[in-house]
Amino acid sequence: MDTEKRTQHLAERLGYIRDVFGGKHNENIALLESKLQEFNLRLSEGSISDENAALTTLEDLFDFVERKLEAELTPMDKVRIVRHPQRICLRDILENVYDNYTEIGGKDEHSIDPSMLIARAYITRRSGKKTINQPVLVIGQEKGHGEEFRNGGSVKPWGNAKALQYMKVAETEGIPIHTYVFTPGSYPVEDYPGAAQQIARNLYEMAGLRVPVIAVFSEGGSGGAEAIGLSDRRLMLSHGYYSVISPEGAAAIEGRLRHGQRAAPELIEKCAQQLRITAEDNLRMGYIDHVVTEPPLGARPYHYDFFRGLRQEIIRATDEVILGVKGFAPFRAMVLRRRRGKAETMDLDNMYVRWSLSSSAKDRLVSRRHRKFNRLARNAARDRRPVLRKLSNMGWDAWWDIYSYFKYDLLRKHQQKIAYLVEEVEAEAQVLMEKVAAPWRKITCALPGGACQSSEQTERELTTLSDWDEEGQRNGNWSYVSPRAKEDRAITCPNADSHGCLDLWAPDLFGEFAGVCTYCGHHFPMEYQWYLHNVFDEGSIFEFNAEIEAGNPLGFEGFDVKLEQAKKQTGLKSGCVTFEARIDNVKLVVAMLVAPFRGGSVGAAEGEKFVQAAERAKKKRYPFLAYVHGTAGIRIQEGTNGVIQMPRCTMAVRRYIEAGGLYLVLYDTNSYAGPLASFLGCSPYQFSIRSANIGFAGPGVIKETTGVDIPPDYHRAYRALSRGHIQGIWDRRDARMNLKQALLTMGGRNLYYR
Amino acid sequence: MQTKDHKVLVANRGEIAIRIVQACRKLGLAFTCVYTAEDAASGHVRIARELGGDKSLYRVSSYHDANELMAVADDAGATAVHPGYGFFAEDYRFARRVSQRDRKLIFIGPSWRVIRELGDKINTKRLARSLGVPTVPGSDRPIYDEMEAEKVAQSLFEFQEQQGIRKPLVLVKASAGGGGMGIEEVYDIDLFRSVYRRIRNYALRQFKDEGVLIEQRIRDFNHLEVQVVSDRSGRNPVHFGTRNCSIQSTGLQKRIEIAPGFDPSSIEYGFDAAQVLRDITQHSLAMARKVGYDNVGTWEWIVTRDGRPFLMEVNTRIQVENGVSATIARVRGQKGVDIIAEQIRIGLGEPLGYGQEDITFEGVGIEYRLIAEDPDNRFTPWVGRVDGFGWPERPWLAMHTHVPSDDPYDIPTEFDPNLALAIIWGKDLAEARERGVEFLDTLVLEGANNAGEPLRSNVRFLRDNTGRILKF
Amino acid sequence: MFDITQLLDEIKASPYEEIVVAAPHTGVVTFADVREGSRVIGPSGTWKEKKGTLLATIERERNQKPIHAVEKGEVKEVLRHLEGTFVEAGTPLVRLRHFLSKDEVLAIILKKALHLFVAPERAKYYFAPDVDKKVKASGASSVSLHEGMDLFIMSRMKREASLAYSGPSGVIYAVYFQHNENVDAGQPLIGVCPPDQLSLIEDVVARVQTEWEERE
Repeated sequence: MDTEKRTQHLAERLGYIRDVFGGKHNENIALLESKLQEFNLRLSEGSISDENAALTTLEDLFDFVERKLEAELTPMDKVRIVRHPQRICLRDILENVYDNYTEIGGKDEHSIDPSMLIARAYITRRSGKKTINQPVLVIGQEKGHGEEFRNGGSVKPWGNAKALQYMKVAETEGIPIHTYVFTPGSYPVEDYPGAAQQIARNLYEMAGLRVPVIAVFSEGGSGGAEAIGLSDRRLMLSHGYYSVISPEGAAAIEGRLRHGQRAAPELIEKCAQQLRITAEDNLRMGYIDHVVTEPPLGARPYHYDFFRGLRQEIIRATDEVILGVKGFAPFRAMVLRRRRGKAETMDLDNMYVRWSLSSSAKDRLVSRRHRKFNRLARNAARDRRPVLRKLSNMGWDAWWDIYSYFKYDLLRKHQQKIAYLVEEVEAEAQVLMEKVAAPWRKITCALPGGACQSSEQTERELTTLSDWDEEGQRNGNWSYVSPRAKEDRAITCPNADSHGCLDLWAPDLFGEFAGVCTYCGHHFPMEYQWYLHNVFDEGSIFEFNAEIEAGNPLGFEGFDVKLEQAKKQTGLKSGCVTFEARIDNVKLVVAMLVAPFRGGSVGAAEGEKFVQAAERAKKKRYPFLAYVHGTAGIRIQEGTNGVIQMPRCTMAVRRYIEAGGLYLVLYDTNSYAGPLASFLGCSPYQFSIRSANIGFAGPGVIKETTGVDIPPDYHRAYRALSRGHIQGIWDRRDARMNLKQALLTMGGRNLYYR
Repeated sequence: MQTKDHKVLVANRGEIAIRIVQACRKLGLAFTCVYTAEDAASGHVRIARELGGDKSLYRVSSYHDANELMAVADDAGATAVHPGYGFFAEDYRFARRVSQRDRKLIFIGPSWRVIRELGDKINTKRLARSLGVPTVPGSDRPIYDEMEAEKVAQSLFEFQEQQGIRKPLVLVKASAGGGGMGIEEVYDIDLFRSVYRRIRNYALRQFKDEGVLIEQRIRDFNHLEVQVVSDRSGRNPVHFGTRNCSIQSTGLQKRIEIAPGFDPSSIEYGFDAAQVLRDITQHSLAMARKVGYDNVGTWEWIVTRDGRPFLMEVNTRIQVENGVSATIARVRGQKGVDIIAEQIRIGLGEPLGYGQEDITFEGVGIEYRLIAEDPDNRFTPWVGRVDGFGWPERPWLAMHTHVPSDDPYDIPTEFDPNLALAIIWGKDLAEARERGVEFLDTLVLEGANNAGEPLRSNVRFLRDNTGRILKF
Repeated sequence: MFDITQLLDEIKASPYEEIVVAAPHTGVVTFADVREGSRVIGPSGTWKEKKGTLLATIERERNQKPIHAVEKGEVKEVLRHLEGTFVEAGTPLVRLRHFLSKDEVLAIILKKALHLFVAPERAKYYFAPDVDKKVKASGASSVSLHEGMDLFIMSRMKREASLAYSGPSGVIYAVYFQHNENVDAGQPLIGVCPPDQLSLIEDVVARVQTEWEERE
């Protein structure tokens, strides 16, 4: 390498260090700078005798300082590393880790979404003398070293849709999928297929993919990461981050900033620290299986050793997954196990594992994946149930399994056959009787006092009081009345200017009208209690798992107090209430996200309760309703403990749906972000009360990330319906009736009342 | 609180507002009127300016905005609200708000529960049936099931055939509807299903309730009313006789009302008319007692040609035509009965002070509704300016109008173009008719619209129809 | 025909309009911090979603209702003696001096240039259903008119009658009536541009666009 190139390279390294530390460690940087300057000066003077040696010394100094600074890296520094244009990107990996690749559906900016890169690649291995090319599908976000059109790896909904499309292709072809997560987060636009809804679809499908999926995280920005991150093995680069939200975003929320305001660097640094976003943190918490070590201060395109290492890791991970579900491979599995953790001398290129699976192995693969995610984050919630109760619950669960099998599978089939037979016979008999009796009936009718209805009886029926069970005729008499209905005051409808609505009297509006403007139909948000009392049968609600409490698994500063406040104010232990109830005597399981409890945000406890509710519904063959009174997203103070609930709950939902249940989602007020982009958005039956706003990110966030102004009604339920995100909009007063209808007409084959 | 210390907010306009003001003055009560920008020239504004005391007139944004009325009531120091007819008169929510808000007011009308109970068609019909009061044959609860609906329709057709009705008709209406919307006739059972589905879908769209009512459509009938008055105790309702309101416009709006409802002394009926009148008053009072009716109200009946009465509905308010009943009524032999004044008096909590035995009737009363409209052209309203309006004063004539007779008056387009109510009394039907014609012939009513076309009114129509009143 | 130069000069000579901000309904008035001479703005934002300057609040039945400026302008008078008192509906509260905007000037001039179809009677007017559909879908200018076509529904005294168009064929260039508001007899409902005058009208628009300077 010539001197000029090498000094140029050093200058780049220096700039990189300066950028990464954002104004810290100035003395080290100054040292390097002055040494480099000095060298350049002497070079131009021609006073260096041995350029090569001097340069090597200088390079050693750089190496030394980089190693020294490596130990000082803070989480926020790592965030800056990951965001740096010099950071390796997916194209570098394709070039250096795989033996051959063909990009699919894109060449630079000519792509449906240049932020999402898809490639068919292969890895060449040897088995004895044979050379074998093992094809894989590589999917990942491409940041392109800061290329404008890559949008920083922020993928648009159609980019994620493309990713899903090719995952299905890989599944059809039976080849493993390697995903590389390089995203600060998804691009928050609602245009079809919709940021949230598409991620949800991805998660739902990935939960059932019948090929091995290996994910490598470099920049794991929340929902955008999950869109391709649900996998059998999750590796993480040592200098990457995996977080629920950007540290800046967290700081804005913590500092209660209005949009446009900037958070102080100290606060951002502190949030980065508190969110536990680094590879070690995530490994410790279990959300990452293995960390891939990077060179000091992070991998850059010239770190060829790193790529070699990564290649080994990715092969190993794929092999492990395959061998883990394959029937017979004791020696190779042993090799893999033994080499784990040893010096990096192995060469898996020389060991061959066929990357295809039998049908039963695929079953095992998927069920392992489900078990893997189901185990995650269990300790992040506080389970206050006594040990005895937990044990008895487990016993009870087992009993339900057996009971359900006998009641619904075994008995039902035979019963149905008999019932059909009886129906047929009856119908035949009816026709026969009709024919025989018809002439006889005519005669008797003609006679006075004959068998047919007398005119007096007709008259009596038409003119006297009939029997009428008035139950169910509410006529505005709701069982629960909002406290706002107790104030003597008038309320102005927000549509008053455009629709001419007159002011409504609060007791009418929040009482009889159930929060609906009688002039324009605008739905004012109502308390979740309104639904509990007016949608489900009186007294039918039976709560379970109330003891599972929201906690503070990261020890996020100040959050304990806030959590206590929320618990005191709402009288709830978490933002998710799970219960059994009845609607017109049809029993169902309900998981309710409650807006007043920390904005209805979802953390480990909420996720766990949701999963258990889905399991319960599955066991009992009840319909499963997710009633979203409101949710602001994943609870950021729980970090990845919250994010992981996205795949976790989606998988639980998938298990439930595949068992033949009916999974209904009903949105009520503001429903945003993570939950929508996973276990809610994946339901084929999502309905909305007219009061709902539905979307991936709130208006402020959209403005900030995209710089685009959005119309005030961007997230209204009707817009969501037009975009194809939801399946219908209900008037609040009809929620019960519509749910009843849905329970009777929708869903799978395995509901107890079918 | 003494009755005299009350101040009444008159929550209405035009003729009824004037009559409420007059009744208040008769009782020595203070009052407050409201008006809108369009209505500034109305007579009730003038009378409020002339006769009202402190804080007795407010301009509001709309008569339909309850908040305006509440705000004005508070500012004016009103203690009671008289809704008149129309607007909030039968709005139980308004009555409830008035009586449940922090600064409570008296709603001069029945209590809100009574309004709600009798405002519901089905409820009223079921209440009537539970007391053995005759109602129109058909269902008395919303029907949701198509098979059941068809069965009811089928038996209604059969029932009418047994009754000897030649062209039986069945009415399908949205049970949650009202005001003539969502009603259709069926003359053939084969067409029933399509009509039923149409109405059911309409009802679902419009009222979010699929329920329909299926009733016999009665065609040849007279429209009768019973005027009921009851104090706040709700225990001793009395009636102020019956009225016949069968002379109507093509849009089924009343044009001439006569008290009493039939006159068997001068006209031959195909049935025992006196007995029908006795029956409907007794039925009405029975229902009033049952619900604890506690103000003035009107029970509306239809009477078929063969003399069968059916209860139609209960109007829980003072009606336009209350004056025609008052003109023939005598309390302890005294003339000058004022049902609006009685309504206010008992509304404010005074006991009625007399019983049914103290009420007697004398003569016949006719009420003409003078309206700027074109009876030859489907009673199309006429808009323009009234330049000349006058009539000779007569001891047997009472005129109620908000149209000034000394100033030109632009008819506001916001409301029906009602100009006046003329109430005529005669010692018998013949004399009342004679006087009615005399009044109409001497009435001066002139005007023109922007295009210079002369005013159109229903005076000719009223005169032509005077000859057939009370005949059936 | 009219002289557009002269008209523009006339408007330029008195480019202001007085806007009276009145109480929308009864209630107790509290004025915001506006005083004579201060500048106010009307609704702003891409969708006019941000309200104009707050002028006053009016409280009725414990409901505070803000009253915002609907146009930009200068405050000429604040009827401050009403502060804290109960006012009737329609009581003037603030007077604004509003400098005519380009669109408003254009509207004034177009009113002279277009064929005006006027309300025959005081009533509320709506487009006939077919027309309404078209207007809502692609704007009033997409409706081409010809003599005798059903154009309006005229609503008064709770009765509705249809009203046919009469006048030259052309497209609707301007709409002067508001949904749910009464229009007096003789007031224009729409301005119609016959095809042969389209170029003339476009000239007018261009003239105003170039010659009228927006001012605060």
